[in-house]
Amino acid sequence: MSRRASGLQAWAVQRLTAIYIGAFFVYLIGAVVLSPPADVGVWREQVGGGVASVAWLLFILALCWHAWIGIRDVVIDYIHPPVIRLGVLIAFGGGLVACLLWGVKIILLASGA
Amino acid sequence: MKFEIYRFHPEHDSKPRMQVYEVEIERGMMLRDALLAIQAKDETFTFRHSCGEGVCGSDGVNVNGVNMLACTTRVSDLKEPVQVRPLPGRPVIRDLVVDMSQFYKQYQSVDPWLQRNEPNPEREIRQSPEQRDKLDGLYECIMCACCSTSCPSFWWNPDKFLGPQALLTAARFVLDSRDQATEKRLDALEGPYKLFRCHTIMSCVEVCPKGLNPTRAIGHLKAMMLKDSV
Repeated sequence: MSRRASGLQAWAVQRLTAIYIGAFFVYLIGAVVLSPPADVGVWREQVGGGVASVAWLLFILALCWHAWIGIRDVVIDYIHPPVIRLGVLIAFGGGLVACLLWGVKIILLASGA
Repeated sequence: MKFEIYRFHPEHDSKPRMQVYEVEIERGMMLRDALLAIQAKDETFTFRHSCGEGVCGSDGVNVNGVNMLACTTRVSDLKEPVQVRPLPGRPVIRDLVVDMSQFYKQYQSVDPWLQRNEPNPEREIRQSPEQRDKLDGLYECIMCACCSTSCPSFWWNPDKFLGPQALLTAARFVLDSRDQATEKRLDALEGPYKLFRCHTIMSCVEVCPKGLNPTRAIGHLKAMMLKDSV
């Protein structure tokens, strides 16, 4: 059985990441509404806390992965010439990797690592 | 009642045009009857039709932007002027007649027949009422192509995405207790194109003249693939 190829895997990952992103947003909005941070320092401490920083890192990873699958779907649907398709995928892929690294850097700085 | 009909004759026209016809409407008149009335006035006008009862699936057309069967559509339900065009996304052969080769090829590609590893029994293969119930909503398809030709994913990749009709048929055999090629059928649908171009837009569900739900059938296929893989 080999269903590792892009179809099923991408579809399943898109749904799993969506569940995590959705759950994280519920947690985030709940946290901000129930105990709003007094200032940016407190907010930074909250984000950089042990469990919270892992949750944030997972969120950034899930968001980028989810966005990548979505973008790739749109590109596969609408952009057919291989060279242009590859160029657009590289541009978006590079942008998402940059966002991912930037997000990771922010979280690591907040956690004091 | 005013009708605007898509006209194109590849030998005479360089591009398609909309031609206006006036048809006197009778009580209970269907769109197919109106098209026949137009044809009686103008013999050059061409469209496909056969049974007139929503069974053969020949007269799928695009009416005021929505795919439907001409024979099961009451003209009194339509907004005037009634714009009738060929099914979208398919090459036009003439007027409302489109080339369905690709659509049939996709249907053929899902091996639309029962497959068994064991030799066929001498008697019919029996099913429980529950097993038979699983085929409801799948076997009734009349292959009018209203669904596939209303699907944006099919418009963009008609050669690679199988489209709602072929996928509904694939589900019909995958869910059939008498079929023994489930694994092979699911494997054949893997990859980014054949099945997974479906983004649950659900245009297919909206237009199916038989009230079928190809999106749900596609969901079954995806769920079975996932279940089979974990």
